[in-house]
Amino acid sequence: MNRLHHLAAVTHGLQRALAGLFVATSLVTLGTTLLEFGSASWTIAAAPIGFVLGGIYGVAYYLRYEYEVTDTTFDVASGVFSRRSREIPYRRIQNVDVRISVLHRLLGLAVVSIETAGGGQTEARLNFVSEAEADRLQREIRRRTARATGSRSEAGTDHDDARETDLQGDASATATERTGTETPASADETVAGTDSVSSESNARNHSVGTQSASRTRHDDRTRSLFELEARELLLYSFTSFRPALGAALLFFVFIAIDPVINHLLTVSQPIGGPADLETASIGNYGVLTLVSFAYGVIITYLVSVAYTFGAYYGFTLSRAGRDFVYERGLLQRYSGSIPSEKIQSVTVTDNPLQRLIDYAGMWIETAGYGPESGTGSQSAVPLAQRDRVYEFTERLTGSETPQFHSPPALARRRYVARYSIIAGVFVAAIFAVTLVTPLEQWYLAAIVFVAVPPAAHLRYVNIQYYVGEDHLVIRRGFWRRRTTVIPYYRVQTISTRRSIFQRRLGLASVIVDTASSSSFSLAPPTIYDLELEDARDVHKTSRNRLQRSLRERARDDDLGLTVDFT
Amino acid sequence: MESLHSRIRLLWIAQGAIVVAVLGAALVGVDRVISAIDVPVAAIAGVIGLAGVLAVAYAVRLYQRWQFELQDDALYLERGVITVVETAVPFVRVQHVDTQFGPIERALGLSSVVVYTAGTRNADVRVPGLTPDRARRLQDTLRELAIESDTDDAV
Repeated sequence: MNRLHHLAAVTHGLQRALAGLFVATSLVTLGTTLLEFGSASWTIAAAPIGFVLGGIYGVAYYLRYEYEVTDTTFDVASGVFSRRSREIPYRRIQNVDVRISVLHRLLGLAVVSIETAGGGQTEARLNFVSEAEADRLQREIRRRTARATGSRSEAGTDHDDARETDLQGDASATATERTGTETPASADETVAGTDSVSSESNARNHSVGTQSASRTRHDDRTRSLFELEARELLLYSFTSFRPALGAALLFFVFIAIDPVINHLLTVSQPIGGPADLETASIGNYGVLTLVSFAYGVIITYLVSVAYTFGAYYGFTLSRAGRDFVYERGLLQRYSGSIPSEKIQSVTVTDNPLQRLIDYAGMWIETAGYGPESGTGSQSAVPLAQRDRVYEFTERLTGSETPQFHSPPALARRRYVARYSIIAGVFVAAIFAVTLVTPLEQWYLAAIVFVAVPPAAHLRYVNIQYYVGEDHLVIRRGFWRRRTTVIPYYRVQTISTRRSIFQRRLGLASVIVDTASSSSFSLAPPTIYDLELEDARDVHKTSRNRLQRSLRERARDDDLGLTVDFT
Repeated sequence: MESLHSRIRLLWIAQGAIVVAVLGAALVGVDRVISAIDVPVAAIAGVIGLAGVLAVAYAVRLYQRWQFELQDDALYLERGVITVVETAVPFVRVQHVDTQFGPIERALGLSSVVVYTAGTRNADVRVPGLTPDRARRLQDTLRELAIESDTDDAV
């Protein structure tokens, strides 16, 4: 069993000691103020006791936290009072992430997270180990995962020759290239030779051959697939906007509320803002609100440019065997590996700005939880020219170029109606405001209705779908348009939804659920507002092709993904 | 297509009644606590009565709509009053199957089967309003079909 890095004893000890200190002093405060028990002077004694007890707990936690890379599972044993020992089978691992913060980088440390599809959080988080150990773990787990998935199809059959090639390949890196090129040929011969014996064992034999071949050929060596160039990084930084960062900024505003308000007042005063908060007219406040809002948007944009630049600086995607390995980050380094057989779907994203300059990004979705935004979505190509990205996507998934279909024009009418209702509610709200304030021209708010037809049209034109031979391609969204390629093989459930309004127009939406853990804010891939007949057709076709792809995969164990997609 | 047991309507009406009761209590609470707002008794009675009628109508309509079927490759369900949803859960995607019943269901002698998939949105699909015997049989069938069609790990 291995322990975490010995510095972890210090940080865990300190963290828990501070927590103990906090708990002890709060308990004394609680006792004296609420229960009128004890006196404030007890803090002097309680604080050090809490600190020491917390520190002891932290160190004990370190001493009792052990992990081990075994042949079949990754084991973690943890807990001081209640013990937990967890075994994660390699072939269930979705991805392995390594995160190195600025401080960790100075000390040569890293946090390793191992994700599986189950549970709502990271299954194993090693906080923290040395960088070298993180590297070793990532490599070891990758190697063993490849072996586990390889030997799975071997189980119960007698292909010792194939297995031997395997082991040789693993053991000696020098012989890899040669055995690698030979194995598929010999496997093909075996298939041809025993063609009539048993189709099932053939399939297994074949799969072992190809798998060990691809593994031996690339074992432990990485091949670069994509590197984000300086130009692409800058374009990506300047064309992405992360509203979530705005919420984080609000927090800082609360901390430094006075200087912020003073600054906003000085800026807005020349253009009609109030001189101070107490004496001002409604119009002054209106100007102040607008100025604050503009400020918020601009600062959020600048922060998100800086954040994106820092997070995606030096982005590289490469492959090691059948795994994708990515690395990125200027100050805080992230790296992770994703087994290609765990990929659920591939999504191309672009926002209006990126569409304007003909760029797009590509994300791969797994069922685990990634470091960013808590979803299993990982950026494979942050930003590149659109044609290239679509080419990558087609090559990666093996899908044909989509011939997109659109929902009927009737759908657009729905969006006109929907956005008109929203605009109506807005005008009503403004009207309510004029009732309680001296403002009068509420009808000026009706200008928002001008935005309704273009908004409805933009929503409509960005909804497209393509029912391919092996893939379903679904496109939706305007601000952050997403084009998701779902192999039928990854479909979990298919639903057809018809709301009361849709039924009136004879429309339906098809929801194709996969195991990629999208967050609550992102709906699963949905084709909106098809004609009912088409919706039923998509529903049925997807079901049939899922069954077909299952049969095909059982036959030749085809991954359905091309690892070298760039 | 198979319908649910007719007693499920009582369950849904009971659930509706709970909602209506909460609504009524909230109205009475507003009337009592906020002295500025005086809710007339007739209004409270009217709202409760209307909500009660709606709840019953909803339960009846939901029962008429709810259907399920074990098809060749998937469990197929049709349900919903305001939004009609047709869902297909391929057997090969079934992770595990539960039978469950709550206190009201137990009193009515009903049981539910919950089918879990690895998906996100419809990760658990519930078939309510089954007799305990039917629920048990459905669970067994689904389990067998899931094992039978298992070709590879789903995720």
